[in-house]
Parts: sequence; C-alpha cells; structure tokens
Amino acid sequence: MRIKTLHAVVIACLVSLALPAHAEDAKGAQGSWDAVVDAAKKEGKVVVYDMALGAPYFLAVLKSFETKYGIPVESLDLRASELSERIRTEQSAGRYLGDVEMITTTMIEEQLQNGDFVQKLPPIPNSANLRPPFRATEFSVPAFVQPMGILINTRRVKDADVPSSWNDLNDPKWKGKILSDDMRPLGSGNTMFAILQHTMGPEFNEKLAEQKPVFSRDMRNDARRVARGEYAIYVPQIFAFTSDLKGLPVKVVIPKEGAPYAEMDLAVLKNSPHPNAARLFIQHFLSMESQLIYANAWMPPVVAGVAERANADAQPFANAKLIGPAKLAERPSMMAAAKKLYP
Amino acid sequence: MSISAGDRIGSLGKLRLIARLSGGLRLLRATSAGRIAGLTALILILAFLSFYPLSMLLYGSLHSTPPGMAGTFNLAGYQDVLSQQSLIALLNTVGLALAKTIPSLVIAVLLAWILARTDTPFRGTLEVLVTLPFFVPPILTAMAWGMLGNPQVGLLNQLFQWVTGSSVAPINVYSYGGVVWHMMQYSTPFLFLLIVDAFRAMDPSLEEAARMCGASRWRTFRTITLQLMLPALTSAAILSFIRGIENFESPLFFGSPANIRVITTDIYDSINQRSPPQYQYATAVSFVIMMLLFLIVLLQWKLLRGRSFITVSGKGYTPAVIKLGKWRWATFAFCALFFVVMVVLPVGQLLIGSFFKFFGFYQWDMLTLEHYRAVFASSEFWRGFGNTMLLGLIGASLTMVLGGMVAYISVRTKWRGRSLIDAMAWLPWMMPGIVLGVGFLWGFALLPHAIPIYGTIWALLLAYISLGTPLSVRVMSSAYAQLSFDLEECSRVHGASWLQTMRHIMIALAWPSFAVGWVLIFFGIMRELSASVLLYSVGSEVLSVVLLKLWVNGNAEQVSVVGLIMVVLVLLFRWVQLKVIKAHISTL
Repeated sequence: MRIKTLHAVVIACLVSLALPAHAEDAKGAQGSWDAVVDAAKKEGKVVVYDMALGAPYFLAVLKSFETKYGIPVESLDLRASELSERIRTEQSAGRYLGDVEMITTTMIEEQLQNGDFVQKLPPIPNSANLRPPFRATEFSVPAFVQPMGILINTRRVKDADVPSSWNDLNDPKWKGKILSDDMRPLGSGNTMFAILQHTMGPEFNEKLAEQKPVFSRDMRNDARRVARGEYAIYVPQIFAFTSDLKGLPVKVVIPKEGAPYAEMDLAVLKNSPHPNAARLFIQHFLSMESQLIYANAWMPPVVAGVAERANADAQPFANAKLIGPAKLAERPSMMAAAKKLYP
Repeated sequence: MSISAGDRIGSLGKLRLIARLSGGLRLLRATSAGRIAGLTALILILAFLSFYPLSMLLYGSLHSTPPGMAGTFNLAGYQDVLSQQSLIALLNTVGLALAKTIPSLVIAVLLAWILARTDTPFRGTLEVLVTLPFFVPPILTAMAWGMLGNPQVGLLNQLFQWVTGSSVAPINVYSYGGVVWHMMQYSTPFLFLLIVDAFRAMDPSLEEAARMCGASRWRTFRTITLQLMLPALTSAAILSFIRGIENFESPLFFGSPANIRVITTDIYDSINQRSPPQYQYATAVSFVIMMLLFLIVLLQWKLLRGRSFITVSGKGYTPAVIKLGKWRWATFAFCALFFVVMVVLPVGQLLIGSFFKFFGFYQWDMLTLEHYRAVFASSEFWRGFGNTMLLGLIGASLTMVLGGMVAYISVRTKWRGRSLIDAMAWLPWMMPGIVLGVGFLWGFALLPHAIPIYGTIWALLLAYISLGTPLSVRVMSSAYAQLSFDLEECSRVHGASWLQTMRHIMIALAWPSFAVGWVLIFFGIMRELSASVLLYSVGSEVLSVVLLKLWVNGNAEQVSVVGLIMVVLVLLFRWVQLKVIKAHISTL
C-alpha cells in the first residue's frame, strides 16, 4: 500500500513538474502555428490540384477553409492520370503553379519513383490525430478513403437475392445484368479487380468475366442507369456516389468480405508558390470539421473520433470493413490480367 | 446582287481615311519586297499554329517518353500501330466515317436544294431549325439518345412495345448503327451549312438553259446543278469524312459500351487510361491517320484540278425559285420531320430532364428548379461562359480573317508559295483535336519563360485558331472560287485601288460566306472539348470543360440546363446572323 502511495506521489510530482513545461510547449507550438496562419494569409491564395471531380463534399471543405481563413482556394480538378501528367509536364517546363495535390497513394508513389514532383511534408499538427492504420509518410498524409461496394436496383433485385458476398455476383441469374466500371484501364474498376484477385482468388475474376459484365467509364452516371433499370447491378459503387441519390430505387451493399478501397493522400508540390497556405490547407482537411463532412457523405474518415459523430445513415459506411489497397508494383500485371479476361 | 460601277465609284470618297490608313497594305501589295515580307509573316504565323505543335508530336511519336523525360528514340509506337487491334480500330474508324458521310450528304443536298432553290413554305424558319443540331454540343445529344434509344428502357423502344404489344426492342444506340446515327446528327447540318450558300449563289441561267434545251427537271438537277456544286460538295464531303474520322464523342458514348473501338477512343485510352500514358502510341497513330487524310486531300485536289466552277459573275440575276406545286408540302414535311427527329426529340428530352430532381425520373414530387438555380449561382459557369464568349468572338474573327487571307492568296493570286500556305493551313485538320491539344500543351509548356502562354486563356485562343483555320480557308476558298476574275478586273479598270476592290468586290461578295464561316467557327469553339480539356487551367475554364466536369460528376441535370442555354444562344446568333446577312445583301 505504501509503495503504491509512494508511486502515486512520485507520479503526481512528475506530472506537476511536467505540466508547466507541456503548457509552455503547447504555447510555443500555438505561437509558431499562428505564424504559419499569418504567412498563409499573406500569400493570398492556395492552388489545389485534386481529383475530386467536383464532389459536393470537397467543395464544402473548400468553402469552410475560405470562410475560416479568408484565403481563396483555386482548384484544378482532373482525373488522377491526367492530374499526374499535368504536374509532370508543368514541372518539366519549370512552371510551378500548384501548391497541394490530392491524389491516390499509388500515384504519389509513382511520382516519387519518377522524380521529385512533391516536396517533404512540413509538420502538420492534425496528422497526429490519424487513426490506425492510416499514417503520414515523409512526403504525404492520408486525406480520405474511397471504399467501393455493390449497387443494386431495388426493383430488379428481390430482397432474397440481394448479394451479401462478392461471390454472389457470379450467380448465373445475373449474367448480362451487371454494369461495371471498365476493369482494364487505370481506375476504380481495375482497383476492384486487383484487390478481389487477392481477397477472393483469381477464379472469382474468371467467373465474373463469364457473367459478361458491360463496361462503362462514367461512374456517376452508371449509378443512374442502374436506378433507371437498365441494369440490375453495378460494380464497383463508391459509397459516396450513392449518398446523393436518396429517393431513387438503389441501394449500396457492403459484401461480408469487405469493401475494396483507394486511399487519397495530400502532398505539397515541389516549389509550391504558397507553401504556408498549402500547409494550412492540409491541416484544415485533417480537422474534425472537414473529416465529418466526408464521413457524412458515407466515406470512412482517416482521423480518430470522427466516425462516431457521423449521421446515423452514414454510420454503416463510416465503419465499413475495408480490404486493400491495391499496390503500385502490381498495377501493370493486374491491368494485363484484366485485359486477358476481357479482350 | 449586281453592283454598278457608278455605285462603287460614288462611295470611294467615304473611304479616303481607310485608304490612307491602308497605305502600308498597298505597299505590301505593290512591291515584291513588301509582298515577300507579308508572305513571310503569314508563313511564320501558320508555322507556329501548325508545324510547331506537329513537330512536338512527331518528336513524341519517335521518343519513348514525353518531352521533358529521359528516354530513347525508337519506332515502338509505329510498331504498336501494326497490331491487329489497332488495325481493326483503323478499319472501324474509316468505315464509320464513310457510313455516316454518305447518308448525311444525301440528306444535306436534299435539304439545301429544298431550302435554297424551291418555294417550300417557311423556308427561312426551316433553315434555322434544320441547322440547330450542329450547334448542340454532342455530349447533350448523346445523353438524350442514350435515354431515348437504349435497348432496356429507352423511350422509343417502350413506345414501340406499347403500340405493337411486342417485347422486341428494335432500337439499340449502343451499336455501329447508333454511332453512325449520332454522327449524322452533327454532320448533316454541318454539310448543309457548307453547301447551302453554293446552291443559293448559283446562276440559274445555266439551269434555265438546260430546261430550254429540253432537259427534264431531274436531268437538269443531275447534270447542271449537281455538277456545278461539285467543288462545294466534294470539299464539304471530304471535310465531313475527316470530321468523321476525328469524331470522339459518338464512339465514346455509343461505341465503347459495345466494344466498338476507333482510333480517337484508342488515343484517348492510351493517354488517359493507361499508366504511364502511352503518348508514343497515341502520336504514332495520329501520324498514320494524318497520312491517310493527306492522301484523301490529294485525291480531292486531283479530282478538282483544272476545272472551272465560276457560278457567280458580274452579270446580274435574280435567284430563281423552282415552283413545286402541291409537292412543296411534301418537301416541307421532309424538313419538318428532320427537325423533329434531330432536334425536338433530344432537346425535348433534355428540357423535361432539366426540371426534375434526377434526369430520367419523371415523378411529380421530383419537379424542381434547383438545377437552374445551381447553374445561375455557379461562379464556374459564369467564368466559363465569359471565357467562351470572349474566345468565341476573338477566335472566330481572327480565324476568319486568317482563313480569308490564306484563301485569297491561294485562290486569287499566282504568288509563289501560295500552295505552301494553303497546305500549312490544312495541316491541323488532319489531326484529331485531342492530339493537337497534346502538341500545343507540350509546345506552350516548353516555350521560353518570357513567353508565358502556358496555362493562360491565350493558349486556348491559339489552339482554336489553329483548329478552325482549315474550315475558314475552305469556306472562303469556295466563296472566292465562285467569283469571276472579271469583277476584280472591272473594278481596277474603273480606277478603284486594290484595297477598295477588296472591300467592294472580294469582301462584299464573300461576306455571306464569311458570316457563315464565322458562325461555324464560333460554335466550333463553343463545342470544342478535346483540346480545351488539356489546355485549360485554373481560371481559364470554358463552357465545354464546365459541361464535361458536370457530366463526369454525374450532374446530368445541370448539363441539360447549360445545354439549353447554349441552344437559346444558338437561336439568338442564327437569328442575328440571318438578319445581318439579309440586310447587308439587300444594300449591295
């Protein structure tokens, strides 16, 4: 008992000694961060290169940043492959127009392999709040994850037939009734193909090919085509793309094996003309406020303590079981495998 | 449409100031040194607009990586072109372009003849209406036809099944037929616009002579009218065929889902959907296509060489109208049906769709005006609108002026180097917009930093001028080819200077063609997507890019609203254009 009391006293003393020091550190950190905010405001704007495709939740985050800091955001919104090529061309020509990029992890890995298109990540206080397994690297920090499930037309798929496993897609009754994002080129279709190749085994993709899925490349519109009844099923359905289809006869299903996902990261571009504004933007994207916007749009947040605060309808998606992500090293072989199955 | 020498000389006094200002131009015309300087400047401009991006592409087709990246020179891109898949895509491309050009040309000739040479009722209104599909962005009509003609729930198929009680769906837009149909939506009015003025401007005395010699109406049409129209028709058909080869939207929307591959979608895939982007293959394929198109143009020159097609002379005449009697209602019905099928159906589908919360879901509780509110409140839309109008006005004007100069030198002079100028102006037409866009992107990015074009609105302007110049040259060449040389000579004999002759003869008589060309280029700029999407940057977005972004983001309803605004603009422009032409011609 005495020993325990002694321990408690020692700990209390240590805490009392440490607290003022910690408070000093926090004060200092706050002071230096205020300097970043001031410098960002002086820089006047931030240019974000993103692949959000005009998503309303992304625009909501931009708006909240502009309102909070009074710094206008200019966004160059392109597909991932176009974005990475645009950055490469600009930087090869010595033009440094962008500050921050928001793109898939594999694209950043590829950029790092091919050159120094991004610079080392400056300290971002909110990156300390990331929840496992997400973590910042030397060059980037996770921004959000984009998981994919199965979209069904609730009028064409009876309750008893609703797929609960990815394997259910290979039921002969769905032959010719599945619309899919093209699995051959770079994109969500191939990401799903690659992840399920590992999770479900190669025979899953072989059987799926026998179902003769029809390919398309307009993910947003494909969900509408399923809603209109052109097809009974669509894969892979990004959760967030269904959140704004309330009122239509569609439902997104998370199979029991889990949802393949792509991770989107934030990085500061080389020779960013507004480096402090870039840093502030990343900090803001990892704030509780921004992450909650994403969570309410049915995307699992990367920051701890957000999923629990999401709206009721977003809860199943915020806590979905994730499988993946796809690996950069496997990209060529997976694209070749898909091309072989779908010549 | 005749002009008396007295009228011309009487107005000379008003032109003294202009004439004084144009002393420099006269000098250019008068001295061989001035002419050489002028020609050199023109060649340099054309070289920047055509050779420069093409040289970047040639480099790309021979280099294993894009400019700015370490790589080696090889022929791998051209070897890939010889694969079976690429050859099938090439065959599909040529086949589809041909399959759409023939019916489009037949319908366009019929429409042009009906509206320019017969007494069909409401011709003026019908002329505006049948040209409308040309101006509607293909992305909109594709969206609408996807709703009307898909085999599962397409409205036309449902209507057929409801009427016949059958379960068969006879229409499937996701097929070769669907691709051809959607291409025709654009190419028929395009051909019509290119040839209708030639029909209108033709001297009817030749037809009258044939009729007086006992030829039937059909024989006269076949042996006189069509023969005289040959340069305009072949030029237009070849342009349409080339456009068919370069067509991107139709095979993307209706071909790709049915696994129908063409060269443009192949190029798009290799740039946008492969990692890393296969620029070497894309540019090599483009060069193969360019060679093919070059052969087609050579064929055209060979076909038309040595023929004279002068149909507008100094002699006055009144445009003759063929009286069709009761058949005029049949021709009226033909034009009206064309309008209903090509415009009312798809635009009606868009109009209805724009008022519902979700495009294609027509329930009373989903009626809304929120899409209109969203578009009008969008700063991106207004920025795109402003940029497009600015680029359209400046771009169309500069392109037509450049095209008029090239056409004049090529058709009306015997100057050395005129063939080179003509060929240089043609070059961009042989390149799909998406590839020319890549050439310009690299070209602008690699310019010295003192020339900051990259990422600005001027990059788009230069690309649009380059893309539009072949069309402006063709339109103005056709106009100049039909003007008799005696008009120019007559003016000079009466003491008018070269500039006055240009203004009162060459410009005044070619003005309707200039106006038609201007509108074609303006709306070409308004629709242009493939180069714009590569060259725009933050702040220089244009409407077509805004449309694409809305579409990719699943905002079909807002796409419909923007599309309808564009249709209203089309109506307004066409109305103003026809009014201006009418007023101008009547004062000549």
